[in-house]
Amino acid sequence: MKRLVVAVSAVLLLSACGTAPQTQATQVTDAKAVVQAEGEHNDTDVMYLQMMVAHHEQGLEMVRLAEKSAKRDEVKTLAKAVDATQSDEVAMMKSWLTSWKQPTTVDHAPSAHADHGGLPATGPEEIAALRKAKGKAFETAFLNLFVAHQHNAVEMANLEAADGVNAEAKAFAERVKLSRTDQIKQMLTMINN
Amino acid sequence: MRRSIAYPLVTLGAIVGSAAVVASPALAHGYVSAPPSRQALCASGAVKDCGQIQFEPQSVEAPKGQRSCNGGVAQWSVLADESRNWPAKAVGKNVTFTWVMTARHRTSNWEYFIGGKKVATVDGGNQQPDAVVTHTVDLSAFPGRQTVLAVWNIGDTVNAFYSCIDLNVGGGGGSTTPTTPPTTAPTKAPTTPPTSKPAPTTPAPAVPTTTAPAAPASGSWAAGVAYKTGDVVSYEGKKYKCRQAHSSIHSWEPSIYTLALWLPL
Repeated sequence: MKRLVVAVSAVLLLSACGTAPQTQATQVTDAKAVVQAEGEHNDTDVMYLQMMVAHHEQGLEMVRLAEKSAKRDEVKTLAKAVDATQSDEVAMMKSWLTSWKQPTTVDHAPSAHADHGGLPATGPEEIAALRKAKGKAFETAFLNLFVAHQHNAVEMANLEAADGVNAEAKAFAERVKLSRTDQIKQMLTMINN
Repeated sequence: MRRSIAYPLVTLGAIVGSAAVVASPALAHGYVSAPPSRQALCASGAVKDCGQIQFEPQSVEAPKGQRSCNGGVAQWSVLADESRNWPAKAVGKNVTFTWVMTARHRTSNWEYFIGGKKVATVDGGNQQPDAVVTHTVDLSAFPGRQTVLAVWNIGDTVNAFYSCIDLNVGGGGGSTTPTTPPTTAPTKAPTTPPTSKPAPTTPAPAVPTTTAPAAPASGSWAAGVAYKTGDVVSYEGKKYKCRQAHSSIHSWEPSIYTLALWLPL
């Protein structure tokens, strides 16, 4: 986000987030400055964002390994695009949690949340193993592990869709669901090409 | 056969909360990603019109002991539909199957069947499996076109997960060859994702592929296009410049949420 200084028109703001007429005349520097998760929120919204911050940060570790170690350009390009978009999403989620006066971290690792969606695929052991993998084996390991990781993101989005109440957080969950489903589609094709 | 595993066994003390897990529907599990299982072919878009399974290939869960590609679950009957001309992956005689696990249930074992005959069993030791598990199975006794049923038997529930993988054994490595060209169009099934609460502002464009076409010099944004840094698109009456190369997908259209990809001009 910090590298970005741009003006976004009020039309885009209104169509994008549908809130805050007072932002019409502002110069926008980044999304988290203008997309506020106003309105009510509940425990599910808080838990979802906290878990997704941790989940995203694990994902960023994985794609940053792929940016360096993947062999195919298409894999590197996907990794870089996920890095760029998920970095912004982390900043946005943290700004929402902060505005709700909630911690931006979970008090334990996402892999301990077995009761909130099954035991997630990615733990520190997986990332450590990925760090050691080399060459073609790295790419295969990364793609399969990241497919599982993004499946978990879709599952968490389903929980937010079912039980969350905050409109911005629910809309975010829907975007996560769409984008991760398409990323999985791309990666399954990469795995078998 | 031998067993090879991509990652060290995870020895977390945590118990998988299976009782809590069943409360929510889409809580996930596992499937064979490579060689591609039928649900993986649906999820990757290589086989079209599969219905809901394309969004949750990990969900073919049914009581243990089933021997059909859909685990006997009516909702996933497309996976047992032999008229779909599932493409068979050409493989050698030793085939390495890769499972993607999205919930790491304690595992009784994995079993592999061809034509109802068991060809391999891998013990799971009632442990949590790794997130990615691979097994290498000797299929030299089964040359030619085969459908392998791979079963993941869970240790602490009555259920198992089912994946069918279509292979051309001994056909070499690498390419995927349909054994018979499809002669009739497959029947239509719903292709839209369910429970899309906030509907996208535009109709869902074409499905993305990894071999996406290059962007036209200047045109409307579309999904499934390989955009390069510097490409300019129009979207909802405004122009944007691509600032991070990517293959475009749903929800990555230019907006306040994708400033990392698209700079408003």
